Amino acid sequence: MTHYIQDPALWALIAGTPLAATVILRERRARSKTRREKAAIESRYTELESSYASSVHEARIRAEDATKSALKSAMRTLQGLANEQQLAISKAQGKYGEHYVLQDLLEIDHMNSQFGRRAQAIAVLCDGWLGRQRADASVYDVVRSAKGRIRHYTRVEIRSQSNFAMTGRAVEPVALALAELLDNATSYSAPDSPIDITTRTVPKGVCIIIDDAGVGMNEEEKKRADHLLSPQGPTDITALGNPPQFGFAVIGVLAARYGFSVSVDSSSPYGGVRAVVLIPEELLTSMPEPEEAPTPSRTAEAAAPVESTSTPGGLPKRSRKGSMSIVPSADSTRAPARTEEETASIMAAFQLGTQSGRSANTEGHDPQ
Amino acid sequence: MNTPGEPEELSADLVRPYVITNGRGLPDNDQFNLITLVTTSDLPRPSQLDPEKRAVLDLCSGGLLSVAEIAGHMKLPIGIVKVLLSDLSADGFLVVRAPVPPAQLVDVSLLQEVLNGLQARFG
Repeated sequence: MTHYIQDPALWALIAGTPLAATVILRERRARSKTRREKAAIESRYTELESSYASSVHEARIRAEDATKSALKSAMRTLQGLANEQQLAISKAQGKYGEHYVLQDLLEIDHMNSQFGRRAQAIAVLCDGWLGRQRADASVYDVVRSAKGRIRHYTRVEIRSQSNFAMTGRAVEPVALALAELLDNATSYSAPDSPIDITTRTVPKGVCIIIDDAGVGMNEEEKKRADHLLSPQGPTDITALGNPPQFGFAVIGVLAARYGFSVSVDSSSPYGGVRAVVLIPEELLTSMPEPEEAPTPSRTAEAAAPVESTSTPGGLPKRSRKGSMSIVPSADSTRAPARTEEETASIMAAFQLGTQSGRSANTEGHDPQ
Repeated sequence: MNTPGEPEELSADLVRPYVITNGRGLPDNDQFNLITLVTTSDLPRPSQLDPEKRAVLDLCSGGLLSVAEIAGHMKLPIGIVKVLLSDLSADGFLVVRAPVPPAQLVDVSLLQEVLNGLQARFG
């Protein structure tokens, strides 16, 4: 035993064991601490990462919003100018209605309409304002209005008229959406091929069908169009490509906002695209009464020499005396101003006068 | 989109004149002037007719009406109305009547003689 006591190795063992235990314990503690720290750092890292992603997303949204609001106000100015110009052109057209300048004014009017439509389309994508308040209008007029807003409008043929009208709030959005569809139809078909528009009444409302004779769309294009036309489609104006393809995005936004639907997934009988716009009943109304209706009865009344000095439309009424008296009508027998004797005596006096004048001349009174 | 507080812009016509005539400004043969008279013919109207053409026929059905008056009622430029009228008369729905020529005046020299005679006797 003493033999062992004197062994320094034992002492070293006695002293070393707690030491080693302490070291091991401390190390283990340190390791667990490191592990904890590592976990903390990791969670902090993921937290940072997600907050970074969300702030990038937020920044993008903010930038998008800033772009949108800047574009929106810029477009609003342009829309106002286009409207103002249209009124000025209308005035000039009235003024020079018979002049050969009229043809040029019509062309300027056409260009101005296209310009106004572009500004409206961008404004719509920026959650902006369409800029025009309209009265109820017939479906036919809305289609014609849309037709007038594209470049090659003479290629568009409207095949049928329906007896429905649209409520005022739907007129401008539907016209703009139709114009974008027609623009696509004319852009993606041969320069002289016609675009047909037909209107059909269906149980859910009225369908406006646009058929072109173009090349149609491939699967990828159809997918993109469907995506943009769907109500939850993106309205990210920076993601529309360069040059930006507004068309379907604008139509999608308008359709979602005003509650009509547009589909372009069928093909037309001419091989191109068939676009169908379904206007639901909520946006339809019965035909508006034509304002200041020029009814036959009223016109007949206007033709009669009554004492009224202006038409229901506020225009001065012409009293038909001169040329109209040649037309045989009842009023030629009415109220002769003079009796026959009076007329005879007047004529006699006139004849006497001329005779005496002639005889005066032959008598040699030469007027100098 | 139009919030109630926003100012309302004065809007021009929904259907622009160039759409009504499909781009034509003045008819090629200018058979109409402001005082040309037109009226409807006996031909029955087709079922499909542009609203503007229908309105012209409605206006003219009461009797003869001048081009200027039709343009005034339609609130359209005269050139556009002339295109409509020329289409309608080409299709036979309208009868056009040339303006009535001014009445033949008495020979000026005769009047001069009357004046001379009056002056000789009373002047």
